[in-house]
Amino acid sequence: MSAIGRGRARTNIIAAVALVAIASIAMLVAGTSPIVGFAALARGSVGGTHQVAETLVQTTALLFPALAVAFAFRAGFFNIGAEGQLVIGGLAAGVVGTIVPGPGPIAIVAMLAAGALGGAGWGTIAGGLRARFGGSEVVATLMLNVIAALLANWAVVGPLRAIGAESGETPSLALDRTLPVIVEGTRLTIAFPIALALAAALWFFLARTVAGFALRAAGDAPFAAARAGIDLPRMAVFAFAISGAIAGLGGATIVAGVLHRFNVALSPGYGFIAIAVALVGDLDPPYIVLAAVGFGILQSGSLAMQSLAHVPKDAVTLVEGLAIVALAARRTIARLTA
Amino acid sequence: MTRPALELRGIVKTYGATRAVDDVDLDVVAGEIHALCGENGAGKSTLAQIAAGKLAATSGEIARAGTIGLVRQHFELAGRLRVWENVVLGREPQRGARLDARAARARVSDLATRTGLHVDPDALVESLPIGLAQRVEILRELDSGPSVLVLDEPTAVLAPSEAEALFATLRALSRAGTAILVITHKLSDVLAHADRVTVLRVGRVTLRADAARTTTETIARAMVGGDLPMLPARAAVTVRKRLVARAIGTIDGRLRDATFAIGAGEIVGVAGVDGNGQSELVDVLAGMRAHTGALALDGDELAPGDPRTRIACGIRTIAGDRQRDGLVMAWSVTENAALGDQSRTEMRRGPLVDRAARERRARAIVAEFDVRTPSIATPVAALSGGNQQKIVVGRALGFAPRVIVAYAPTRGIDIGAAALVHARLIEARNDGVGIVLVSFDLDELFTLADRLVVLCGGTIVHACAREDFDRPRIGAFMAGLSS
Ligand SMILES: Nc1ncnc2c1ncn2[C@@H]1O[C@H](COP(=O)(O)OP(=O)(O)OP(=O)(O)O)[C@@H](O)[C@H]1O
Ligand SMILES: [Mg+2]
Repeated sequence: MSAIGRGRARTNIIAAVALVAIASIAMLVAGTSPIVGFAALARGSVGGTHQVAETLVQTTALLFPALAVAFAFRAGFFNIGAEGQLVIGGLAAGVVGTIVPGPGPIAIVAMLAAGALGGAGWGTIAGGLRARFGGSEVVATLMLNVIAALLANWAVVGPLRAIGAESGETPSLALDRTLPVIVEGTRLTIAFPIALALAAALWFFLARTVAGFALRAAGDAPFAAARAGIDLPRMAVFAFAISGAIAGLGGATIVAGVLHRFNVALSPGYGFIAIAVALVGDLDPPYIVLAAVGFGILQSGSLAMQSLAHVPKDAVTLVEGLAIVALAARRTIARLTA
Repeated sequence: MTRPALELRGIVKTYGATRAVDDVDLDVVAGEIHALCGENGAGKSTLAQIAAGKLAATSGEIARAGTIGLVRQHFELAGRLRVWENVVLGREPQRGARLDARAARARVSDLATRTGLHVDPDALVESLPIGLAQRVEILRELDSGPSVLVLDEPTAVLAPSEAEALFATLRALSRAGTAILVITHKLSDVLAHADRVTVLRVGRVTLRADAARTTTETIARAMVGGDLPMLPARAAVTVRKRLVARAIGTIDGRLRDATFAIGAGEIVGVAGVDGNGQSELVDVLAGMRAHTGALALDGDELAPGDPRTRIACGIRTIAGDRQRDGLVMAWSVTENAALGDQSRTEMRRGPLVDRAARERRARAIVAEFDVRTPSIATPVAALSGGNQQKIVVGRALGFAPRVIVAYAPTRGIDIGAAALVHARLIEARNDGVGIVLVSFDLDELFTLADRLVVLCGGTIVHACAREDFDRPRIGAFMAGLSS
């Protein structure tokens, strides 16, 4: 896994330029002027306070699972399961927000904690399987995504009816149980600064703590790490638990901050796009923040591209896909320009 | 004389400010064995890779007659494939469109028999100890039958008898017209087997000579640019039992019923052909493997441990495969200097790493072991093999260890660096450390060991004290001819 090098700025820039060029060609093929297309993208994502806030809402939704993916990756594991961990975290938060008594702030803290715990539990299943049986975490997390979706569906039509769930969602949260908005009149809540603080905390953990050192050793050179007294199976469980907790916390912030209820459709695939965000961000928290902003712009600008410039939604998906390809090509670019 | 099969003219390779190879001319003609010597970091591997077309030179000209094969210092084998698959990879015999596995296996066994590089064709490469992996790497290049064959330290992990067999094979190849360039740190091999020798020092040629008309001293002086460090005297130490092993073995039976004791202030050499239980022994002592039998350290029974507890009680290992088991190649010298000691109170401040302590530690290793590196922030991947090894050895000797388990600690390092490692090991011994030294180099064992045990077929077949070291006798035990 160490092969996922933390690349240099120059190759990133070249990759970004290549990406824009290819996206332009895609728009031309789709019959749109790239200038009109990019203008619409800019207008829709950063064209005003509301647009910027909406972009940061998307950034936040991507940042949590992207940090989750990166954390597992740095320990040497490919966590494809952020999506499922996010859903379980959201479900836990939705349930707790509905049933826990007490004043709003306490309920909010309880919801976030429930989300993190739920995600951690879900992640630990994958980590435990990996540690115990050494199976592929990719397969395990992929399956757990499906199971999480099924479980959420079943819960809202079944047992959660008792607390008032209907048509695929839990009841609306009381207003004092939702995350405080930080820009009046928008959906941007304290979830955004929480995500930034988390990115900083993870950076600090990896760079400055003994446990972070051990985790990076396990990811970059498992054989050497084992001989250096680092317990790899335990590391697998730990990495997946934390990774799941981060993704689950993200799910909880969507429930408590954006939807104000748990809905089975709470994520349009944040956990998957997050993999690209994490890789484009070089698995390094500060850069992941930047990558998440970039993908946030794409997410929120894509609607404007569709409505104002008639760029099909598929073209946006294409650009996201290309971002991953461009990333994969970075080493080749680095070699060609060395 | 005919035109050289390999002709290098004015080769330069720079890495940033480092001139790894600095204006080198070199010819290798068909039918000769040409030795290339030099200290760690002299530029030998860089030059070999340039010669083989694996690396682009910054400037200079290369002419080759025919194909070229390169046996790398740090092999590139596919661990998940079997031995025979690795050997024929890219040159698979086919029956119709399909791989003819039977023909391929036969070809590989035949080659192994002919060259004396015995290895089970069906073994998974990742399961092989390093000496056997080295054989596979050599077999792979021999199988391609190149007109120029470059070997980068092929004998570093081979037993003396295997090295002899390899040189016999090389001689046969050279008689058949192959041009051979072999990098080695063993000067006795140069004199015994090469026709010509070229010595590099910091990227430049400092000696070209006919092997028949030079001496090891001349070559060594050209390599280090002066005289070699002296070994410290062996202090007489009262030997108190430090590590006692009673009938230890592994579940798979590759190590059986090994009983021995190591004193504080004693070096116990483990001789034997690689693959006879050495790596199992090291792994058991390091806590990497479950074992039968019992171990005691300074009189206390050692629980069947894990590496963490073994490190905590002062048992340190120098792993055989430094790049896989000893270092994180992408990390800096500083971070690697802390690996294994990360939990030690001296190296942290509560849950945080103590960055200043780490840097001090890295600087200390660099100074004590003369590690040639641009800075302690340089990734170890950019250091030469010998300098990487110095970090591994230096790390193990820090923090007053009680026992050192060293697996081929001077593998692939030059005579100057090896003398330094030897000196440090003897100092550690004189300070009361108990040392288990697994080596495939009898000269090294004879120089360092207070006692020797010989491993053959997973058991200790012979033990003797320094006064009774006898080369032919030990060789016979190693080969399984005596019991
Ligand atoms: N990829 C690299 N980046 C930067 N410097 C490098 C790189 N590869 C090698 N060097 C430097 O080039 C010099 C020559 O290295 P090389 O590996 O050729 O030495 P060597 O003679 O083979 O040594 P050894 O006996 O230890 O194998 C060293 O100073 C090394 O640090
Ligand atoms: Mg070398």
